[in-house]
Amino acid sequence: MQLILANHLVTSMQFGTPARLEDTDLVIDTTELRRIVLEDDTVVGVDFEIVRPGEHCRAGPIFDVIEPRAKEPGSGVDFPGILGAAVTAGMGKTHVLSGAAVSVLAEISPDLTRSATGRVLEMSGAPAEASAYSSLTHLLVIPRTKANLPRQAVEKAYRIAGIRVAVAVARLALAQPADSQRQFEPIGPAASRAGLPRVAYIGQIFSRQRKPAVDEPILYGANTDGMLPIMLHPDEWLDGAIVPSLHSWFGGTETYYYQNHPIILDLYRRHQAGEMNFVGTVATIAGSDNFDRERHCNAAANLVKWNLQADGAVLSKYGGGLPHADLAEAARLLENVGIKTAVMVSDVSRDRRVESALLFNVPEVNAIVYNGGNGTHWEVPKVDRVVAATAEFTDLLTGPMKIDASNIVGVTNQQGASRMRSIVY
Amino acid sequence: MRVAHYLNQFFGGVGAEEHAGKGLEIHQSAVGPGRLLEQLLGGEARVVLTFVCGDNFAVEHQDELTAAVLEKLSSHSVDLFVAGPCFDAGRYGMAAGALCHAVQAKFNIPAIAAMSEENPGGDLYRDALYIIDSGTSTAKMRDVLSKMAKLTQKLIANEPIGSPAEEGYLRRGWLRDQLVEKTAATRLVDMLMAKMTGAPFESEMPATAFAPVPMPAAINDISKAKVMLITDGGLVPRGNPDRIEGTAATRWGSYSIAGRDDLRAEDYEVSHGGYDTRFVQEDPDRLVPLDALREMEKNGVIGKLADEFISTCGRSNPLSNTRRLGREMAEKIKQDGVDAVILTST
Repeated sequence: MQLILANHLVTSMQFGTPARLEDTDLVIDTTELRRIVLEDDTVVGVDFEIVRPGEHCRAGPIFDVIEPRAKEPGSGVDFPGILGAAVTAGMGKTHVLSGAAVSVLAEISPDLTRSATGRVLEMSGAPAEASAYSSLTHLLVIPRTKANLPRQAVEKAYRIAGIRVAVAVARLALAQPADSQRQFEPIGPAASRAGLPRVAYIGQIFSRQRKPAVDEPILYGANTDGMLPIMLHPDEWLDGAIVPSLHSWFGGTETYYYQNHPIILDLYRRHQAGEMNFVGTVATIAGSDNFDRERHCNAAANLVKWNLQADGAVLSKYGGGLPHADLAEAARLLENVGIKTAVMVSDVSRDRRVESALLFNVPEVNAIVYNGGNGTHWEVPKVDRVVAATAEFTDLLTGPMKIDASNIVGVTNQQGASRMRSIVY
Repeated sequence: MRVAHYLNQFFGGVGAEEHAGKGLEIHQSAVGPGRLLEQLLGGEARVVLTFVCGDNFAVEHQDELTAAVLEKLSSHSVDLFVAGPCFDAGRYGMAAGALCHAVQAKFNIPAIAAMSEENPGGDLYRDALYIIDSGTSTAKMRDVLSKMAKLTQKLIANEPIGSPAEEGYLRRGWLRDQLVEKTAATRLVDMLMAKMTGAPFESEMPATAFAPVPMPAAINDISKAKVMLITDGGLVPRGNPDRIEGTAATRWGSYSIAGRDDLRAEDYEVSHGGYDTRFVQEDPDRLVPLDALREMEKNGVIGKLADEFISTCGRSNPLSNTRRLGREMAEKIKQDGVDAVILTST
């Protein structure tokens, strides 16, 4: 497995014809993109908007943020299992439009956040400083879905529209040479780096607090039904093997941070610096009951111990409260066989008390990174420009308004991108 | 700045343990450590009242002591209330904490104490007060008073208060959000690397120690007991009449099951956003097992099933809230003469 990321920097984006990437200027032709989105007959219309860093602009609710990436022809399949055959991701060359994002707006508000706004993209002010997404230039995709579709069909349409547009836009980069190429040092259980600690990553990619839709794409297009923990090469995460589930609102999980997985990239960085031996990853899911939980946690821990032969592991969770139990149990099992662990959890303390902060109390699980956010909100002003899918959302988002940190996309994130933490006072 | 100061009999110059039963004395000026405190607070600060009380008297007559101190303060306007430092003197710490807490609540002025981490007064009052960590050695008196003075000046000037480590107070158990330089991913891997190499690391969240819940007395004869079903799985009658929230519920409800052997799907819904509720929606007895309990009642396995079940939603509910819910439920259970409860969760 040897993924090459061919990087094309994008510093400006505008609508025009023909569609092209000229140096770092990306020109978007909406006619062709519209045709691609409307191939899905659940979508009856689509609009496009561009928003830029620093702009006095607010957009929402955001369904997903995606980095425009396209496989070089002959190099594999974009989002395998969703847009094409479920062949292995993470091999060959992938072109990346860095500095750009394709972000999808929803016509409906999520039911799992504490605010009717859903997750909002804020391009200026204090919230923008707390989210890396605000420093990107976004092509906003605003699909209009058929009336009276079941919710998951609507969300599936958003997912497909977003990744199709992202791939189509990134294909414009194929015509010009990359600014730079990035290739990660080979890793794998066989890689011998005598004397360096062997480190693995266990990431939850779904929580079965909710039964996924039959056709809900998560891992290589599959919905995780019947899934057991599976070893993945880190390059598979980075190259389209995994997308968030259709209800990914809680805690923050976006396609962009699978493509730029903060934990995996940090492990790679230290691997390349000779600080550790990054031996591989395990993708797992949080169970819906104790049988599920035991099965997944034991299997994940066994893969890390016997297959990856790790000395240490970092673990992250997906979804809401219940997956904390799976996270802690997997870490406990690892600690009990002598594998050191550190875990990352999301903020569950609504009364801002330490006693409400953890959903487990396991002495072995004593290295905890705490993503904050429940104690932060911003008073945001009326903005010059609001981009939303409906008139109601435009009204709602115009401001001035008070908005929770957890409702600004990119501020709270379960993939490791968050810089907001809770500190104990 | 007008300051009131509380000391025990030892630091107040009355005497050692043999004087611990002595009642409250009030002085109109600084006494003992109060003199140094005055200096450290700076030019205009004056200790105008010093309360001195024996440790035994203080804990045995805490309400009386508190009332006397509050009454005195009502007629002498002060800007600050200071207690201790108490070091590891437990009774002194409890009295100091109680007085600071009461004064702060009544007069809305800063109140500050100092004691060691192990002092029982620390555990009781650290969430409500700033308590400077005094350690156990009285030789550190000047150092401790100086930290108290510094923190006090900030409190009075309404300046932001730094972290426990920066200011030297006992961790209060409150969370504050902060944007930091490193991403969670980098902090996560940093922490693992430190743990693996044996370097010191600090978890961003400490485990909380919870007081154990004492085991209640066993039911001698369950066939004579009145049993109630309680769930935090969010089962409510259709329409959710008590509007029990599906997240962080602040309410609970009790619902009649008198004369019924079975919960019918069409009569109920689930207000809970944290688990896959389809199986409960299909058959509510899976969460609130009325059918099984009714059978046990008929067969004489249990004495009687209570005529109502209690329900709330446990999802993402902070403890400050669930304690109240639990207390309220317990009152009802007692009133209803229930002997045993079966709690079903999800």
